[in-house]
Parts: sequence; C-alpha cells; structure tokens
Amino acid sequence: MLIPLQQVAHDDHHQYLRRCTLQLDNWTTYTSGLRKYLPIMNSYPPDLLVQLSPVMFVAGLGPLQPLQTPTPPTPQSPAVRPQDPFLTLGNRLKDALLSQRAPAIWQPDKSKTFQVVLVDPDVRFPPRKVAPAEDQQFFPTHSPLSPLTPSSPLYPDGLIAPIWIRKHTGLVPSVFVLFKRLYEFPRATPTSPLEAPDSEHERDREAEEKRRDAELSAEIAQRKKSTNERAIKLTVVLMASRKLLDDPTLDARLTFIRRQSGLDPRAALFVLSPVSQAEIGDFVRSLQEALWEPAVEYYTNHSKRVRRKRNRHSQTNQSYPMPTSPSGPIARPLRPEGWTVRYEYKMACFAEFRGEDEVALKHYHDAYANLQIMFGSTAILPPRTKRWAEAKVLADCLSLKICKLYLYNNEHSLALSHHSMHIRKFADLSRGWGIGEETFEFWSWLARQHRAFAELLEQGTRTTLTIPTYLPSSTSAASTVVAQAADSQRSVVEMESLRTLGLNPTQALQHPGFYYFMAARCVENRRARFLAALENGGPNSTASPGFANENKVDHLTVILELYTRAYELFKKYSPQSGANLGRQTLWIAYRIARTYYDSGKFDMAVKFFERIAKTYRRESWDAMLQPLLKTWYACAQQLGDMELGVQLLIEMLAHGPTPDEEDPDAIQEDLLAVFRSTVPSKSDAPLVVDLSDAESLFDYSVIFWSPEVKVDERAAYQITLAVPSHVHISSLPFTSAAVYITEDAAPIIVRHADAKSSGDHVQEIRLGHSDYDALSEEHPVVEANLRWPPGSSIIFTGSLSSARPTTISIAKVVLTLEEASWTVDLPITPSASHGDRSQLPRWLTAVSPAKFVPIRRDSQLPMSSMVVKLRPHVIRVSISHIAPAYLGEDYPIVIEVTNLDSKELDVAADALLQPTEIEGATTSISHDKEIWSNLIKGIAFGKLAPGVSAVKTLYLNSGVAAGDRIIDLSIQSHNTAYSLIMESPQTPNSPALNTSDTSETLRTLIIPTADPIVADYSIKYKRSPSEQPGLARLETFDSDYWDESVGGVAIVNTVWTCTGPHGIKVEDVKLTRGDGMFARVTGSFLDNDPSDLLIEWLPGDQFSDEASVSFVPDDENPDVPIAGPGVYEISWRRILSNNELGPLAKSVFQLPQLEPPEDGLVALLDVPTTANLHVPIPIRMIIRNHRPTRSANVVVQVEFDATDGFVLSGLRAGRVPILLPGGEEILTWNAIPVECGYTKLPRIKVIDRRQRVIAQPGASTPETTSADGEGELVSVVDMRSDERPAVSMDGTRSSTDLGKRPNAIDGHGSTEITILVLP
Amino acid sequence: MPPQLRLNAVAFVSPQNHPILIKTFSQSRQDELKYHYIAHTSLDVIEERISAANATKSTECYLGLLYVEDVAVYGYMTPLKVKIIIALELTDSVIRDADVVAIFKSLHTAYRRSIANPFLRLNAPVDSNTDHAILVNAGHSQWKAFRKRVDDVGRAAGA
Repeated sequence: MLIPLQQVAHDDHHQYLRRCTLQLDNWTTYTSGLRKYLPIMNSYPPDLLVQLSPVMFVAGLGPLQPLQTPTPPTPQSPAVRPQDPFLTLGNRLKDALLSQRAPAIWQPDKSKTFQVVLVDPDVRFPPRKVAPAEDQQFFPTHSPLSPLTPSSPLYPDGLIAPIWIRKHTGLVPSVFVLFKRLYEFPRATPTSPLEAPDSEHERDREAEEKRRDAELSAEIAQRKKSTNERAIKLTVVLMASRKLLDDPTLDARLTFIRRQSGLDPRAALFVLSPVSQAEIGDFVRSLQEALWEPAVEYYTNHSKRVRRKRNRHSQTNQSYPMPTSPSGPIARPLRPEGWTVRYEYKMACFAEFRGEDEVALKHYHDAYANLQIMFGSTAILPPRTKRWAEAKVLADCLSLKICKLYLYNNEHSLALSHHSMHIRKFADLSRGWGIGEETFEFWSWLARQHRAFAELLEQGTRTTLTIPTYLPSSTSAASTVVAQAADSQRSVVEMESLRTLGLNPTQALQHPGFYYFMAARCVENRRARFLAALENGGPNSTASPGFANENKVDHLTVILELYTRAYELFKKYSPQSGANLGRQTLWIAYRIARTYYDSGKFDMAVKFFERIAKTYRRESWDAMLQPLLKTWYACAQQLGDMELGVQLLIEMLAHGPTPDEEDPDAIQEDLLAVFRSTVPSKSDAPLVVDLSDAESLFDYSVIFWSPEVKVDERAAYQITLAVPSHVHISSLPFTSAAVYITEDAAPIIVRHADAKSSGDHVQEIRLGHSDYDALSEEHPVVEANLRWPPGSSIIFTGSLSSARPTTISIAKVVLTLEEASWTVDLPITPSASHGDRSQLPRWLTAVSPAKFVPIRRDSQLPMSSMVVKLRPHVIRVSISHIAPAYLGEDYPIVIEVTNLDSKELDVAADALLQPTEIEGATTSISHDKEIWSNLIKGIAFGKLAPGVSAVKTLYLNSGVAAGDRIIDLSIQSHNTAYSLIMESPQTPNSPALNTSDTSETLRTLIIPTADPIVADYSIKYKRSPSEQPGLARLETFDSDYWDESVGGVAIVNTVWTCTGPHGIKVEDVKLTRGDGMFARVTGSFLDNDPSDLLIEWLPGDQFSDEASVSFVPDDENPDVPIAGPGVYEISWRRILSNNELGPLAKSVFQLPQLEPPEDGLVALLDVPTTANLHVPIPIRMIIRNHRPTRSANVVVQVEFDATDGFVLSGLRAGRVPILLPGGEEILTWNAIPVECGYTKLPRIKVIDRRQRVIAQPGASTPETTSADGEGELVSVVDMRSDERPAVSMDGTRSSTDLGKRPNAIDGHGSTEITILVLP
Repeated sequence: MPPQLRLNAVAFVSPQNHPILIKTFSQSRQDELKYHYIAHTSLDVIEERISAANATKSTECYLGLLYVEDVAVYGYMTPLKVKIIIALELTDSVIRDADVVAIFKSLHTAYRRSIANPFLRLNAPVDSNTDHAILVNAGHSQWKAFRKRVDDVGRAAGA
C-alpha cells in the first residue's frame, strides 16, 4: 500500500514531526503485521524489536496512469485497456517486491532481501538537520530527533526514541528505485512492407522522443538531487515494450537519459519489458543483488558517522551546550553515558541493517551495559520519571534483541543466561526503586519479561530455532552435540565443556511453554500483590496512576491466556505417547482450573477438576488431590450442585484432614451441615456416591476361611470395614449397611441401632447363614451399631453354602446415610488401586479383646472368593486277578464297581495299557471280544443304583517276553440326575459352570507275567554216512534233491519245564514242520505217540522230545546258522484254584537254529556194532576232504597188533589218490572176528602227507616239506558214535554240549574202536 | 571448587508412579505441596527420557536435568524402576553431573538399605506382584529408618 506523505515544509519540522507521527500511527506495513502475532511484545514499541533489514523505496509503480498519447487515437489503439501490459507488470512488480521480506521479529534469514516500501515518485525525505530557528549561525545543526533539538520528543535528555527506528525503516531508504515508462512513439501502420519509411513520421517520432526523454531526464535529475543529499542510491528502471528493446535507437536514448539525469554509471539504470511472473522474480532478485552493496555502503556510512561522533564525544567528554529552552525549567542535558547508549544503539541498528549480526550484538551489548550504568545511579536516571520509564523499555527491548541474536546462532545458554541476568539485575534495581517483589509492578514487569521471551522462542521455533534436550552426557547426548556442531563453532566448544562438567540449569533453554507458565505464575503474583494493596492500601496508594491503571487490568484473563498458551505448548512438546494427558499439562490444567475458580467460572473449573482428579487418583498423589478437592468443593458450592458437593466431601473425608487443618471433624461437620441445610435435587432416588476410583473411606476386605468347599458345606466369611485412623466419620448417620453377595440378589440388611458403644475398636456383626441359591429370599434384618470411631473396624461375619458348584464372592457392601431429606448410598467394592494390600488378611477369632489370625494363602487362590465344588462320588472299585499272568493266555482281570453313593451313577471305565519297556514284549487287552493294543474306552458298567455293583472282566494277553505289564484304570461316575437339576436354574443368568456332576476313580494295576513252560534244547550233529553222488547223476540237479552227504543229521533234544506257580493241563503237543532250504525234520518221537505229554503239568515237571533234522550246509553263507525247520506247539489250559481249567492257550517253541561244526579232512569209519564170530563183516572208510582249498594226499596204514581180535583183509598200507577239496574216497576192508566179546579193531592210521604250505623261500614243491616227516594224522571217526556239539560262530563249542566228551578219535588213536563179537 | 549444591526436595516414586516418599527440606507447608507437583510433573519428562534411553539401549540410571522452574529438577531411575527426583536450588553456576549422580547414588543406597529390612514384609502377603505396593505403604506410614536415611543424605547434600 502506498503511503502518501504530505508535502512537508522543509523548515517546519514541528509540523513535520506531528504529521509523520500521525501517519506513522497508521503505519500499517509495519505495525499491523507485527501486532498480528505479538500479543505481548506489542507492549513494547515494535520498532525496537523488529529485525532490521535494508530499506528500499520503490516509486512509480503506484496507480500508474495509462500514458496519454498526444497523437489522435488510431482505431487500432484501444481506448480502454483493461489489460494494459504495463499495468499488469506494475502490479506484479509491487507484489513481488513487497513479498521480499515481511516485517518480523524473528528473521534469521540472511539472504540479500530488502524491506520494500512503496512511495510516491516525488516523496520527500524528512529534514536532515534542523537548526534552532533563532540563531542558526552559532549552534551546530541537529537532527529533529536529537535530544539537542528543543522540539524533539527527546529534548533534553532522552536516549533514543522508536521514532528514530521508524525514520530509518519508513522514511529514509538506503536505495531508491524509480520506475518510469520510456516513451514510445506510436507506430504508424505501414500500408505495405515495401513502402519506404515515412520520413515525416520518423522525424516526428524522433522529435517527440527527444522531448519526452529530456522531460524524463529532468524528472530523474530532480529526484537524484534529493537522494544525493542523503547519499541514497537512486536506480531508475525504465519500462518499455518488448518491441522497443529491439529498436536500434534505444541505446542512444538510454545513454542520453543517463547523462542528462546524472545517474551513476553502475547499477543505476535498468530497462524492463512486460515479462512473466517467473521472470519478474528473477528481475527482483537481480535488482536486489545489484543494490545490496550500495545499501550496505549507505548504512556503513551512517555507522562511520555515528562512530566519529561517539569518539569525538568520548574524547571531549562533555555534554553539548544546551540551548536554553524558551520556556519551562532548565532541563538537564543528556549525560555522557546516555550519549554512549545512543550512539551504540545507533551503530547496532545500522549493523543490523547491514545484516552483520555479530557486530550488532556487540553494539547492543555495549548499549545495554551503559544503560545499566545509568540505571545504577538515581542521579542519572531518577526513578519513576518519564525518561526512566523509557530507558527501562529500551533496556528490556535491548535484552530481547540480544537474546534473539544469540538464538539466531543457536547459542541457547548464552541467550538464556542473558535473559536471566537481565531479570536478576533489574529485580535488584527494582528493589532500590521501591518496586521490589512485594509490588504488583515488579511482577507485572517480570511476567512481561518471561512472556516476551516465550513469544520470542515460540516465533523462533516456528522456523529455525530448535530447543535442545538435556540428556545426561552419555551416549544419546552425543548425537545432539553432533547435530549442533553444524550450527556453530562456538556451541561445539560450549557443549564439550558441558559434557565434561555438567550444565548450569539456569542456562538450560526449555520450550516456550515453560516461560509462558512462569509468566502466568508472575501474573498470579501480580494479582495477589494488587489485591493485597487494594485491601490494605490507603487512599494515597490507590490514588496513584499506576494503581488506577492496574485496576483496569483483568488479571485473570491474562493468567488464563498465559496458562492456555503454556498448556498448548506443553501438549505440543510432550511426547505423543497416547491419549492420556501428560502430567505437566495436568498441572497447568490445574492452574487453569484454579484461575477459572478465581474468576468465578465455576462450571469450567469443575470440568477441569474432574479430568485432573482422574490421574491424581489413579496414581494416588493424595497430597495434590486434597487441595484440588477443596477447590472443587468450593466450586460445587458456588454452582449449587449439592450432589457433587456431597460426593466431594465424602471423598475428602476419605483423605482425612489436610495437615494444616486444625479440626479433624471439620469436613464431617460440613457434610452434616450440607445435609441439614439443603435439599437434594432428586428426592426420590438416593444419591449414590461411588468412590471406586478414589480413595475409599474404608479399608475393605473380604476373607473366606477356606478357598474351596464342597456342595452344601457351610463356608465362613468375614467382611471387614475398617476406618483408617486419619479418617473421621464417627458422627456420620449411617442408617443401614446392605451386604450384597451377588449384584442382583436381595442384600442382607444391617440396621443401625443406637447402642452404647462398647468402646472396642473392633465390632463384630453376625449376619448368620445364608443360602447362596436362595439369596433372593428375604434375609432377616440384623441390628447393630453402625458408627465408626477413627481407627475402628466393623467385621461382618457369616457363612454361605451352595447346592451347586460355583464361585462365591461378596459383590459389594452398600452403606446408606440418611439425614434430613438426604439419602446417600455408599457402595463399597473391592477396588484395584486402593485398599491395604500390604496387610496380610486377618481372620477375627475373638472380639474382646480382638484377636486375629493371619491367613496366608497361595496367590492363585484369592482371599475374597471361594470355589464351591461337588462332592466326589463314593464308589468302590475292586479288582481281582491271579498273578502272575502266563504268556500267551488271555489273563482275566475282574473289575467290580460298587456304588456306595446315595445317587444313581452311570459308571464307565477306561483302561489304558502302558507301553512296556521289555524287549520284544507284545501286549494287548481285550474286552468283549474287542482287542486293543493300548486303550479301551468306555467299558460301560451301566447305571448303578445305590448299593448295586457291577462286574466286568478285562483280558490281558501278553506275549513273547515275561515281565510286568501296567494298566491304568479310570472309572468315571456320572450323576445322571444332576443335569436334570441344572436344567431348571433358579436364576436366569446364573454363571455357566461345568454342568455335569462327574467324578473319576483311578487305579493302576501292575501285572507280573511269566512263562508257563520253559524249553531247553540240546543239539548233536552226526555226519552223513551216505556217499557223494556221482558227478553225472542227473537227479542232483533237481530242485528238491537233498544231498545229505555234505551235511549231516542234527539230533535236537527238547526239554520242557513247567516253571510257573500254577499247573497247566496240556491238551495238545505237536511238532509242526516247516522244512527249509537247508534243514528238514526227518523224525520225532511225537510223531508216534504224544499222549504221554497230554497230562497235567505241575510246577517243576519236565518233558522232552527228540527230533532229528537233516541239514545241508549253506555253501554261500556258511557262517549263517540254519533256521530251525519247525515249531512245537503246546496247547494248554491253566489249572485254576478250584481245579477248573482256564481258557485254552497256546505256547509255541521254535526249533533251535542249527550251527553244525566245520569239518576238515575227515576219515569216517563205518563198522557194524555187532558181529558174529568168524563171520566176516565189511569195514568201510570214507575219507572226505571238506577243506575248501587244500587237496589231501592221504596215506592209509593198518597197524596190526598181536592182540587184535580181527583178521583184516584189504589194503594194508597204501596211498589214496589225491583228494581234491570236496572229494571223497571210500576204502573197504573185510574183517573176520576171531574173538568174542568186545573186540578191538586194528588201528587204521590215516595220514595226510600234504601239509599246510608254509611259505618257505627255498621250498620248491610242497612235497619237500612232507618228505621227511610223517605228515598230519587225520582223525578217524567212528560213525556209530559220531556226535558233535554245535560250534558257535567263533569256533568254541556251544555250552550245552560241553559236558559231553566227543566220541571222535583223533589220529593218534587214543580211543579204540571196538565191536561186540557174538559167538 | 564448585559452589555447594542446595538440595530442596527429594521424591521417591514407585514404578507404578505412586509416590513413596516426598521429603522437602524447607519449612513451609506450601512448599511441600509444590514439590509434590514438581515430582509428579517430572514423571512426564522421566518417561520421555526412558523411552529415549530405551531407543539407544542405554542402561544409564541417571536421567539428567529434567526441567527448570524456580528449582532445577534432576531425575534418576533405579534398575528396579523406582524413580528418584531431586530439586536443587538454582544458582548461576554449572552443576556438575558427577555431584548430582553422587547424591542420587546415596539416595538409592538409602532406599535399598531400607527395603532390605525383612521386617517390612512381616505382615505382607507372600506375593511378589504386590512388591511395590508394600513399599508404597511402607513409605506412607511408619518407615522411620528410611526417612532418617534420606534426611542424612539431604544434610550431607546441603539441604
């Protein structure tokens, strides 16, 4: 907006000052913009606070007149130009320029932008120097604002006035930009492009341009003259159409204009054509860039001038001669200190204009220091004068500026320490001035300091300022240090020192909320002082202007405003942790509520109190709650809300008297007074005061004697209502107490009866027994004395029983107060947050004197509730079986269940067979022909009437291995009638309990099992006497050809022993053949007649059988034993105790494995057992080479002896053809017995000449080794007694045959072969 | 040698934010209430600090300067989450963290030694959940030894 400054008479500065003051009052560009967000700082002159920046005057963009064209308007040229490009350009430029920098207090931005003021092109500057009118010759001239000018507002001893800043921000620019339109001659419209330029028209144009340019130059020169006077840079921007820019004559014209107008050669003339918005921005930027230097130079010159003056002044150190004022008393001139302040302040301002914050800060500091010196002496600045007040304002503003400049650099602690130093210094000074801490003036001032600081911070935090956090110096602080390191070098050093040392709390900057809060507290103090002054102040003090002024202030509104501000900021800065309000905000809210209370807005206060109390109650900060309740109650009284009042009074009762309360019964009496003097708003319903969130009046506890009872059993309980010793309610008229066992049932009523108090602190009230299922029935009313002296307790004792399983607790106790027309119900419920949980629950055992038993219980079982359970059913389970069980039999287990209960029970059993750890054991149980390997469920015994028993038999079948078998039996009984009872519930919403009446009896059976029969085997192996089949025999290739000659016969002898404790009756014994590849049963005794075995076997009895098995060695796996080729099956029955037979069982015995011994080279001698004298008998010897690799070179010799009873015919000595492995050779002799009796056969010696090859390097042939010796004796086996025990894989003889001597004859003939020769 | 600290008040607050003991070392009743408020509002800042500490996995007990009103309020949290808050008188000098930590450590020791008293739990239920409720109640009533210890610390810290 343009501020048209009136023509000011150059010499009439009085008039000028008056006018410009007037105009400046409407200086909207500055003040309104600032006032918008400066509620408190506007109590200071904004000019003293605003961030200064270079001022640029812009003229010629005003309501620009459309240029008059002297030539007659052509039809083409529009008469009305709604869209004159230059008008648009002007408006755009105006907008762009004005938006460069909005006036603000917080403006740390250091970009080169100007404060733009739009002015009239021929604006006048204020007079520079004004000499006193009378004698201009003798006195130096001074500025109209100087204290030396008698007409100045500062005359004679003012320091500096805001108007001085205003002069530099609004009336004198540092640069002046003049926009002018360059004349453009309207173009003749050429009829044809080929037509020669109209020379006449050209001439006209030139002449006209020349004339116009000259006019323009004169105008600029005029302007230039006035700006030069003040050393202001003038820059002209000529606006021309784009077409003109291309005109070749333009340069010449511009040069002409510049020369004519005397503009500087540099940055003084710009040409601008209508351009787009973006390009305007560029233009404005470059314009500012170009003009920044002259602007800075301008302010530097000012600074230099002021410094010169200051230096001169400090050297002479004398005041200026004061012109005598034409009227009034001789005023005292400004003291040297004052001049210093003035000059320093000016220099600081000019530095600030230049954007040199550091320099400005230094000068502001100097000004502030000098100002303090002035304040230090009442002679220099007499208190409570106009100049003193001005100086105080100046000091406050200086302080704020200094803080601000520090904060620009994020030097928080310096700023804050300056702020607190300022407060401290001036607080000291104030004391000296008689406006110390006891006066409202002081607090008003202090509040303003805090508030201004808070506002400064608030503005700062909107842009660049960050509030530091003061975490302890460990890890987390490091990041903030790093963050701040970027900001300033100094702060790094500062933070370094902080980290090592700690920090100064007075220099810890906090968010602005704190300072608002402090300001609010100060205003509260101010109000208190004011009220105090109002109360005891005499008429002299109340008459003072300051007091009258104070009287107009609405302190409470101010306090509220400040607190609200603080509240918002605290909310903003508190972590967004959730919905619940922070405690700091609550505390402020409390202050707000107090303020509302003080200002009579009780309803608002009540709302706040309600919210605040919630948190305080929850966290049980009683000390803070008490004053809150008090004020709240006062509010309730004021609002006439007696219900709320009663509620609050009762809560206050619960907290007990505040420590400063003298009469502990005061609250109680208040409550009674309320009852007597008022009437409740609703008379029909009792007022319910629920203190469940708040501190309870009583310490309330419910104890059940036992945590669990059976159905229909009586359970004793005690409800204790104890009054803490600090709670005084002895005279409250309790009329009744109602004990609610459940929420909806009829309560047990205890009526108050006035009785002489026994004086005991413990009173027992017996409530008697009540049936939990019949709670809705009326309970007899109990009468007792319901008065609680402090520290006493009343204990309600009673018992409860329930016919159903349930959980019983006491829902609540409701105490009723009745007085006058009031009825108040006090429900007492167990509350989570209150109650004396640290105390162990105690059970009253005797009343006078009171004795208690502490009850300790597992924490899972609460004291205050009790579980009612059904009785377990009484059933008898008897299990009978005759141990041990035999393997293989179905072992009967008899389960007998007898119902000994009084109810009919449905009984079923589950049997679980535990897995055994015995190797190979198999077990199964069966019932009712169902066989299960692990579990039988639901063996139904049926419904058993009382006294009836049922029997079920379970069969256990265990096999393979003996050992203990374990069976778990679970017998469940179920009361069928019970569910019928439950189907008709007495209360519709009774809790859904487990609705079946079942109980379970568990039994575990350990059943030993044993083998009824143990079998023992012994095996003998015989070699086969048969010849090897010839190589060409075709039947050897048949699949079922049994070549016995390589194998032999095993004789398996089996002995069965009846081992068990019980006898068995064997019904059948048989050998079931299972011929295999390598063995087959060839015969058994049982094949003939097994009837000898089919008798009763008693423990210890042994029976045996022999079976012969023909076997063939497995050539491929010679080491694998040959499986037994059959099984014995014995079917038997157990002989029971009563000689009856049990079920048929079968034991199975597998024939043992065959492990025939290995053979090497063997000579089998086949001789008959008997012979007749003189009758020749054949003797056959089969020499077999069973060795796998070595051939045999066998020599046979018959050694005759004189005593021989035989005559032998055949080979006497000879060599048998070499036997290859697997080959055999048969030698025969005829022997004629010549003696009777057991006659010895001549010894036949068989020697294997071919010995084991011993690897000898020298030996050429194997023969060489045997040539010298006799060779190896080959054992001659008598085939009649060829029995060899089994040889286990490792070559040792099997243990079963160890006792028997083998009947083999070794080669040395230690045993003789005899034949019985009969005569 | 830094100037002697002046301890104005000490507050012990349970993990559930119930006050355990608030001890002021000044005479006036009004002040006592003030320190209740200070202790209570400090809990906000303490919670903020704790969440910051949790974020950095710091196990530092000392929470530093909480805020400044007309006293400087410092906070400390024991490993069992009992908060200790002290208010120091403002002086225009640097308060060394080490000094403040020393005060906290001695207060913590006083607290520890007091709750170590087995007789405090004489009548208490055998239930660890209500542990701190016991302590709160202990602080409320006849916890003389604890008060005395805190007084001793206060005296030593220049209350």
